[in-house]
Amino acid sequence: MGLVEIATGKVLSSFSVFLFLTVLLLVVARRISTCILLFSVQSAIIAAEVFATGFQERLAEAYVVGALVFLIKVVAIPRAFFLLVDRLKTSRDVKASTTPTQSVFIAVAMIYLSYAAVHSYGQTVHVPEDALAAAVALILTGAFLMVSRRKALMQMLGLLVLENGIFLAALTTTFGMPLVIEIGIFFDILIGLLLMGIFTFRIRDTFDHLDVSKLRRLRG
Amino acid sequence: MILLLPLAIALLGAGLVLSLRNPRVATRAALLVGGLEIVALGTIVWQVYEHGVLRAGRYLRADALSSFFLVNIAFISGLVLVYASGYLRHTGEGRFSSPRWFYALVFLFLFTMVSVCLSANLGLLWIMMEGTTLASALLVGFYNTEGAVEAGWKYLMVCTVGIAFALFGTIVLYLAAVKAGMNPAAALDWVSLMDAAPRMGFDPHLVKLAFIFVIVGYGTKIGFVPMHSWLPDAHAEAPTPISALLSAVLLNCAMYALMRYDTIASRATGPVFPHTLLLIFGLMSMVVAGLLILVQRNLKRLMAYSSVEHMGIIAIGLGLGGPLGLFGALLHVFNHAVGKSLLFFSAGNVRQNFGTLRMDSVSGMARTLPQTSAALVLGSLAIVGLPPFSLFVSEFAILSEAFTEAHYAVAAVFLAVLSVVFGGFAYHLLRLLCGEPNRVPANGKLIPSEYIVMGIAAFCLLFFGTRIPHVFTVVLQRAMAVLR
Repeated sequence: MGLVEIATGKVLSSFSVFLFLTVLLLVVARRISTCILLFSVQSAIIAAEVFATGFQERLAEAYVVGALVFLIKVVAIPRAFFLLVDRLKTSRDVKASTTPTQSVFIAVAMIYLSYAAVHSYGQTVHVPEDALAAAVALILTGAFLMVSRRKALMQMLGLLVLENGIFLAALTTTFGMPLVIEIGIFFDILIGLLLMGIFTFRIRDTFDHLDVSKLRRLRG
Repeated sequence: MILLLPLAIALLGAGLVLSLRNPRVATRAALLVGGLEIVALGTIVWQVYEHGVLRAGRYLRADALSSFFLVNIAFISGLVLVYASGYLRHTGEGRFSSPRWFYALVFLFLFTMVSVCLSANLGLLWIMMEGTTLASALLVGFYNTEGAVEAGWKYLMVCTVGIAFALFGTIVLYLAAVKAGMNPAAALDWVSLMDAAPRMGFDPHLVKLAFIFVIVGYGTKIGFVPMHSWLPDAHAEAPTPISALLSAVLLNCAMYALMRYDTIASRATGPVFPHTLLLIFGLMSMVVAGLLILVQRNLKRLMAYSSVEHMGIIAIGLGLGGPLGLFGALLHVFNHAVGKSLLFFSAGNVRQNFGTLRMDSVSGMARTLPQTSAALVLGSLAIVGLPPFSLFVSEFAILSEAFTEAHYAVAAVFLAVLSVVFGGFAYHLLRLLCGEPNRVPANGKLIPSEYIVMGIAAFCLLFFGTRIPHVFTVVLQRAMAVLR
């Protein structure tokens, strides 16, 4: 067995553990820059998994998708985020509405819940249960970050984590969707982030802060 | 190839309008491009009517159901463009908020909505559905006020997350199709999925799971309660032509996407499961929106909640199924679009004249703005479902289906909500129209761009209430055949 095969096997057998680790770190991180780095690491793990799957299943398309994930989610998006943090000149705190201890307990509960949720489907679909559980855990964490962090930037990051989870679910269950569709989805994410970036500037300029929980003029 | 025409016109038109710095020239160019777009859409509808299904490559396809929704898009967007040409007269130059940006974004918005209706592939459908959110977010935040920025942000976040769930549902359906032995390259193709649906029925769990995620995901865009939180804010804060587009075209496009999934799920798992979900969401939307209509203070929020209620009515029609239920649901899609645009146009006139949409600060409007008041009354009578207006016909069809299938509880709730809504509209309108006039209108008379579109919409409401043209019935029946 060559080195590449061994590496592939290791990546495929251990990536869920690393993803759970990023989940736990994301919910306790207090600074936005830490969260951006963690998102970058998380995307790198997923990119590695795409390459490993492509190698194992002999899918040439997977290399293109893997390269896209690397370029967009590991390099471009984190860079754009750092730029945004810099330009917005906002405080670095994520403004969590739960304490780190509570967050860890919630994250652990979500991981447990993910395993419970995929247990019945894992057998019918014939995919590794860990991978599917990791995907569901990412979706739940993304949603949790969106509702429990008051900074507009953290809501965008939560959305990206959620999207990572959906991408991972597609990858583990079906080896990804057709290439054209994947590219279209990446394009949508990029435009979406661009627009959210425009809106963060507008929020700052019209409200003088980035605390989304204070945006509550419109009700009923 | 003809399927590419409206997409190309919309994209090129957006570029063209954006390059014209003079607002008056930009407006004229926008009207011209809009005219071309409507002609292109009309040609597709006519070709489908004459020759049946059209295809272009693997990703574009138009059948009777798409062409029915294309009629809706073409008609309403034509009205909206003409109305906007008058509405934006006084809009100044700002970043992303000048007339040229407005029209360019409207054409991008149209591009995505037409693509939704022409997608043969559920993946492309999702991409374009997300595209509708992206294209319209800046339009919702057009005025750049506190309210507009908040509504735009909320719209972007809520719809993107909601639509992400629809993507998950699409992936699960893809998984079910691949597991049922379909070729992965064709497993997102709607026609192939319809063919393979009976085979997917051997393992219905995955299809059911997929449909749950899809109804929550696209239901967010449709505005089903409890995912409707973005809808009243976006409708109230957006410029009025955009409110009309959102309510009368966008919500319908999302409903179209859900119909496509509903037919696959019905064929795979039997109609009971998806139709029960549709009935539950439909009833919830009707009841909650009907009650919230009573307590609104802003005229456009009132209209927005009424849209939620009508989307509930359409969902109930689909959920009941059957010939009358489907007929009513599809007809209601069109009728509601016409009625709601008329109401939003009237609300826009109120805002232009009084500078406010708060209903408690305006009274005696019948005397100060007689023409707008007449349109508002006519539109409201139509939207609450009174004869002889067209919405009565479609609501009556859905109600009769409920009785035919012995869904008495559904019928009872349906009737109860309709009467509550009637009371709500009557209460709000009487307070707005009667009493002492307390404000002086900026410009009491309607300008041509306003009375033309409002006249057309009002005529349609009356005309379709008395008789439905034969051509329209044929298109409707063919669209229903696609849904079976």
